[in-house]
Amino acid sequence: MQVLQAISQALQRGDVNGVRQGIATALGEGIEPKRILEEGMLSAMDIIGVKFKNNEIFVPEVLIAARAMNAGMEALKPKLVEAGIKPIGKVVIGTVKGDLHDIGKNMVRMMMEGAGFEVVDLGIDVAAERFVEAVQEHQPDILGMSALLTTTMGEMKAVIDAVADAGLRDQVKIMVGGAPLTQSFADQIGADVYCKNAAEAASAAKQLVL
Amino acid sequence: MKPIERVTLTLQHKEADRIPVYPLMCGVARKLVGAPYPRWSTDMDVCAEAYEKVTEEFDLDIICTLIDLSVEAADFGQPIIYPENEAAHPDFHNYMLKSIADINALQPIKFKDSVRMKGMVKLCDRLMKSKGAEVPVVAFVFGPLGVLSMMRGQANLFMDILDDPDAVKNGVAAVTETLLEYIDALAATGVPAVMLDTLFASQSIMRKSMWLEFEGPYVKRIAERIREHGAQVMIHNCGNGIYFDAQIEAMQPTAISFLHLPDDCQSPQELKEKYGSKVTLIGRIPPTWLLTCTQEDLEEECRREIDDYKAGGGFILATGCEYPANLGFEHARTMVRMAKEYGKY
Repeated sequence: MQVLQAISQALQRGDVNGVRQGIATALGEGIEPKRILEEGMLSAMDIIGVKFKNNEIFVPEVLIAARAMNAGMEALKPKLVEAGIKPIGKVVIGTVKGDLHDIGKNMVRMMMEGAGFEVVDLGIDVAAERFVEAVQEHQPDILGMSALLTTTMGEMKAVIDAVADAGLRDQVKIMVGGAPLTQSFADQIGADVYCKNAAEAASAAKQLVL
Repeated sequence: MKPIERVTLTLQHKEADRIPVYPLMCGVARKLVGAPYPRWSTDMDVCAEAYEKVTEEFDLDIICTLIDLSVEAADFGQPIIYPENEAAHPDFHNYMLKSIADINALQPIKFKDSVRMKGMVKLCDRLMKSKGAEVPVVAFVFGPLGVLSMMRGQANLFMDILDDPDAVKNGVAAVTETLLEYIDALAATGVPAVMLDTLFASQSIMRKSMWLEFEGPYVKRIAERIREHGAQVMIHNCGNGIYFDAQIEAMQPTAISFLHLPDDCQSPQELKEKYGSKVTLIGRIPPTWLLTCTQEDLEEECRREIDDYKAGGGFILATGCEYPANLGFEHARTMVRMAKEYGKY
């Protein structure tokens, strides 16, 4: 379908208006919202993810694609809800307490949304008890944490301990990421999955729920 | 051999008595003078005392005056937060450049009106007087695109680059004018080198051609100004897939402080072969790994890196980014011991 291709291409180049117009055209042509989502938007995000992983595109290009994706989702969401389309899983995500960086976390959120997840974004500087509350409230499949600083990455263990203390550890998989992290650090704090970048995070999340 | 002799030979790609060493001990040095982070960051007498003590106590071969990445942006008027136990940073909820139009309208500020940049000059001046005859003092300056990001927010700036390239270039140009004056003042203290942090020149952030367009020409001017003063240009970049080739072309540095392999090298051996005769390699113990590794792990890693890079000079053992500010000192001691024992020529 030409219009779905146009949506995909607009999203990949970060063209917010192009995505919005494409969605309006597709809906006007009677194309199902689910098909617009899958063939116009999620497929584009797959391409973005692969290109990012392969160093064909970089953070600026991913950010403008994310902006276009968000604009498209805003336009399409009411139609998806009407049609009863369900996400493939739910993720609670946040940057840990004391850390105010959000680019990496936002890219993971966008990639996960692009992979078909519902993402509850707790934002930045999120305390351990807030993560626990969110797991209780939203009952996600995955809890994702981000940290950019050596001074804050230790907070991830506090969150994992707090989730365990609340008796929730078996109910949720825990993913961690952020520039200073390593696999050995993730292993040491008891995380289930460590991801080097946002594209890896989306792939790993899909493997956890599918 | 004095540190300055050791480092000089190393930068000339000659073998000294041993490889020089400096775990990038900056914020952690505040503990030696019992100062909380905000005081260490803003009271340059306290900061200088901390750098003097850490240099003496650990027998470091270089002093690099990294305080935080907000020094320059603060003087442009960016509101800064000074946390008790970590480096100062911009108020992420209150960036002073709220739109692309604000970037486009940004004007240079005069160095004489600055506070934190003047503080850095004072720090360099004191360290040159107290330590400069024996230990090379390297002034640390954030690159112009990085400074702009501290006033606009990185995510915003990255999107601005694609939305309105000319406006971003105007902003970078304004910051550059100020940094040139700053370089003049730093050079007047007699520092033998200035280390430019080119945070975005790696695959972690942006494509090489984008960096070359949006920061390359500006850091080239800054590097030329540094050399006009008779000082050396060094680079720090802890990104993954760092662009050695583009940065060498733009800045002609004598040394690059790095954490990850460059984008065009698959192994340490390839890196040494390709760039080892062009620049002195400074690195590249991962600082975050220090939080979890054992002393034996670190000894092994030091041995591996020394074996990879020390031949023919041109290698300084260091952390690939700042030594964790809240870590103990034991790993720093181990690195220095390994350089002295295993890093002998």
